[in-house]
Amino acid sequence: MWRFLSTRIAMGALTILATTVLVTLLIHAVPGDPVQIMYAQSQGTTPEQIEEVRRSLGLDRSIPVQYAMFMERLLQGDLGTTIRGGQPVLDVILQRLPNTLVLACSAMFIAIVIGIPIGFLAAYREGSLVDTGLMILAIAGISMPHFWLGLMLLFFFALELGWLPVSGNGPLNLILPALTLGLSNAAIFARLTRSSMIDVMHQDFVQTAYAKGLPKSLVLRRHVLRAGFLPVVTMMGLQFAFMMGGAIVVENIFSWNGVGRMAVEAIFQRDYPVIQGFILTFSVVVVVVAIGIDALYAVLDPRIRRA
Amino acid sequence: MTSLTDIPNGSAPPGFWRRMVRSSNGVVGLIIVLGLIFCAAFADLLAPYNPARMGTGGRFLPPGGKFLLGTDEFGRDMLSRILYGSRLTLLIGAVAVGISLTAGMLVGMVAAFRRGWVETLLMRSTDVLFSFTETLIALSFVAVLGPSLQNAVIAVGVAAVPFYARTCYSAALVETSKPYFEASIAAGAAPGRLVFLHLLPNVLPTMIVVATLGVSTAILAAAGLSFLGLGAQPPTSEWGYMLAGSRDYINRAPWLMTIPGLAIAITVLGFNLLGDGLRTSLDPVERR
Amino acid sequence: MTEMRTKSWRTAAAIGLAAGLAVPAQAADIVWARYGDIDTLDPHRATSTLSLQVWSLIYDTLLAVDADGNPVPHVAKSWTSNEAGTEYTFSLQEGVMCHDGTPLDASDVKYTIDQAFSETTPSVTKGSWGPITGAEVVDPLTIKLTLDTPFVAMIPFLADSFSSIICDSNADAEGFGTTTAIGSGPWKLISWTKGDRIVLEKNADYTNFGKLADNPGAPYEDGLIIAVVPEPQARYAALTTGEVHIAEPPFDDVPAIKDSGDLNIIVAENTGQNVFWEFAAHRPPFNDKRARLAVAHATDAATAINLIYGDLSIPEMCPVSRGVFGNDQDFCAQYRPEYDPDKSRALLAELGYSDDNPLETALLVWTGGNRQKLGEVFQAQLAEVGIKASIEIMDIGSLNARVRQENENTEGTTGSMDMMTWSWYDPDILYALWHTPGAYRGYTSPELDAILDETRVLTDPDARKAKVQEAFRYLLENAIHVPLYTPGWEWVFAVRPEVEGFKVAPFVYPIFSDVKIGG
Repeated sequence: MWRFLSTRIAMGALTILATTVLVTLLIHAVPGDPVQIMYAQSQGTTPEQIEEVRRSLGLDRSIPVQYAMFMERLLQGDLGTTIRGGQPVLDVILQRLPNTLVLACSAMFIAIVIGIPIGFLAAYREGSLVDTGLMILAIAGISMPHFWLGLMLLFFFALELGWLPVSGNGPLNLILPALTLGLSNAAIFARLTRSSMIDVMHQDFVQTAYAKGLPKSLVLRRHVLRAGFLPVVTMMGLQFAFMMGGAIVVENIFSWNGVGRMAVEAIFQRDYPVIQGFILTFSVVVVVVAIGIDALYAVLDPRIRRA
Repeated sequence: MTSLTDIPNGSAPPGFWRRMVRSSNGVVGLIIVLGLIFCAAFADLLAPYNPARMGTGGRFLPPGGKFLLGTDEFGRDMLSRILYGSRLTLLIGAVAVGISLTAGMLVGMVAAFRRGWVETLLMRSTDVLFSFTETLIALSFVAVLGPSLQNAVIAVGVAAVPFYARTCYSAALVETSKPYFEASIAAGAAPGRLVFLHLLPNVLPTMIVVATLGVSTAILAAAGLSFLGLGAQPPTSEWGYMLAGSRDYINRAPWLMTIPGLAIAITVLGFNLLGDGLRTSLDPVERR
Repeated sequence: MTEMRTKSWRTAAAIGLAAGLAVPAQAADIVWARYGDIDTLDPHRATSTLSLQVWSLIYDTLLAVDADGNPVPHVAKSWTSNEAGTEYTFSLQEGVMCHDGTPLDASDVKYTIDQAFSETTPSVTKGSWGPITGAEVVDPLTIKLTLDTPFVAMIPFLADSFSSIICDSNADAEGFGTTTAIGSGPWKLISWTKGDRIVLEKNADYTNFGKLADNPGAPYEDGLIIAVVPEPQARYAALTTGEVHIAEPPFDDVPAIKDSGDLNIIVAENTGQNVFWEFAAHRPPFNDKRARLAVAHATDAATAINLIYGDLSIPEMCPVSRGVFGNDQDFCAQYRPEYDPDKSRALLAELGYSDDNPLETALLVWTGGNRQKLGEVFQAQLAEVGIKASIEIMDIGSLNARVRQENENTEGTTGSMDMMTWSWYDPDILYALWHTPGAYRGYTSPELDAILDETRVLTDPDARKAKVQEAFRYLLENAIHVPLYTPGWEWVFAVRPEVEGFKVAPFVYPIFSDVKIGG
């Protein structure tokens, strides 16, 4: 188990390291002079100031030196300052990251609570009308763009019915964005759960259990559920990353003050330090969650636990 | 989301067409996709009006009558815009998947064929990129290159490369690890011959399924970027962009929001169903 | 004790609101929703209207403006200048207090100016402060400014929140600009959550000397919350439910709002906002005056703005808008290229363009306020005469950067034009834009430089007006700065019926001191 986990952790560390390299290179891929682009918006900027910024970002040095400077600052918890307003990037991100995490986790919860029982039911009734119906629903759910679903929910529940507030960051405000993000992912969970359960149900040990005359409910509880959930658990890490990505769009629809909305604003404002900070934060979150889920998987799967 | 690599390798398995016809999903999907291609190909004949012309009708005319799907805030015919939009949508899907497929298959097959350090290097980097998630890669791309439809399509295509590479690699590995394959290499068989006669035909069925499903993912992702304002720019009738513009008129003209959304959903559904159908048909032991 | 209680009550309210706008706002909090956030609380670090509006609540200025936009005394109760116009002496009101309890005096004014001209981090508006060479504290209530050359636009500048007085105690304060902002204005900063809201509390000690409010003292309501709600429809819904009291409504719903009578619509006057075409003038095609004129003749601004904004906005003929010194519609109408597609086609033909070989240009527009929609209409109008314009939408900061880049690029034959927007209190903006080297490195010429130089030093109003109008004429006839409409952005406010006393001062500064929220 430890060997499995340490491989995962090493892989995660490598990913984050690679992100730091990419983030450093990012600013060089910008067509034109990034500092000019960033600072030309202030009418009083002098050429000396621009030189100063270039120096402080290390843009006058070679790329390896820049990377070293970037890492040195990073390790001190310094992600630079925003171009708009000159605030520490880390503060700006930390102020908003919790909102995104709350949204992604709530959506994950909704996706699991709705998706897994549906998938289970469909598998249980494999081949029946219920199964077909649920799976048609699921494939429709996957095909529904979440930005559209979000708009429709906003239109009906907030504007037409007036049941829910339309903007802000309170618990009631969370409902619509979390639902938007959760529902489209519930469909994915449903399909996954179903196929994984069916796989297990057709395996020899389950068939043997039936042959031994054990009641269906007992077989399900004892054998199918656990084995059937394992593939679902492995997918959760990927799904969480998916949710974080989806949050970018959903936050923008519902004015949810998370890092996704911040990132899109930053792209429009060409606020590169913020974009760099966002990419780094995003990948750290995704990696940490993936490792957490791998750990959960390791605990659940006896084969790995023993290893 | 079932693992695509379960599909056994080999050219179209016996009974492919029979199963394809029996799979109602696949047939419905095929009909939708063919319909879409028809709309895109004949948009200029089918569209009743010039999609970019303002004041074709009054502003905000509800669906029905002379304007089957109504008019938008500039009095442009929505039906014509949607029809022309289907061209863009298919083009976006095709180009993005083309990028992912070409690069992904190249990486996957080289890794499976070469083995050794090349394999390790390619597949480890793929793993690292894969854990970045597609959204982040696409967003970073647009952040650097600036918002435009072209950049969005490239971004979406590139972002999916790790996934295609991984899938292709696993499919190719099944073949390259077979004794005959290793023996042929040892015997000095021409690599090109091996790749084209044995590897490619065995990898293709899997990749066709992946690509079909990938078109829907790519269309969704690009529409999402356009929706955020990071993709298509006016006056294109890209559906995601149209949807984004509809937000201002949600009270006054809700159909401006419903119609492009529905168009995206149906298209994506079509490719998803077709992909599903293909998967079942290509896999003789597929039970699901 | 009272102070303590007020404070803890405010904190409680702030927490309640932080938990969501869904909690109905306390009767004593005004909630104002806007589409975007401030950049910073440091008045030397940004120029956005969104930021300026908030600074005007937290900080004071030496002077203020009356309803017509003319400078009047405020914290400075009077001022004198020498004959040459190179020395200004301001005497300050007694007893003005900064929010931290320290008195506001001449040293605070000096601190503000020193910061603006700081060697290491000068203000982003340094150029607009003019040729100030020294700020001298004569006594605690007297400050003397020395100028290198006369600069008539300094007085209106000192009446605008660009020149907000920053209390010198900010120098020692932790996080000035982000978590701290010590001013002396009617509202004190409680907190700023970036991207979400700014929470302000009334300054109970406030005395209003010259700002455009009837209320001579502290605001009537206890708190003011400035929330960020980017979606127009979301703002509208929040107004309907009462989550928000004041907000910019979706333009297309304004007629319906007016008809229903559920909300009051207030349109700001004398905003000084000017939306105009400008061109990358150092390369083809727009280095040729005829190409610029072709665009100007092809755009029907009146029809376009009517389509997008209805009767909320009006065409503008002059390079500086109504309410700003020198503006005269009739004068400018003589020189502004009129809408005439035939003339435009003729010019294009003269330049060798045709349907097979159209004039191609990028059309840069900044986000928000339905401007991209307006851009689409203009794009269609240009297409009518055979100009192929491709729209690019970007943030205002990026637009500023991009326009400069385009001007510095002398290669290629694809043009670049943009729908630029500026709001300024004085025609001196033309100096910033079009005097060598030009804020965007755009069109400049020795003749224009000479005219603009004069507009800065002529102290006689009539003589200056004539010079300013000479500049207008030059800019219009050469199609350098082609005015389109005014006001340009965020000037319409929908206000809930229980809100009384809300008004908007010139240059779109909303005033909350008079606001009372009825039951």
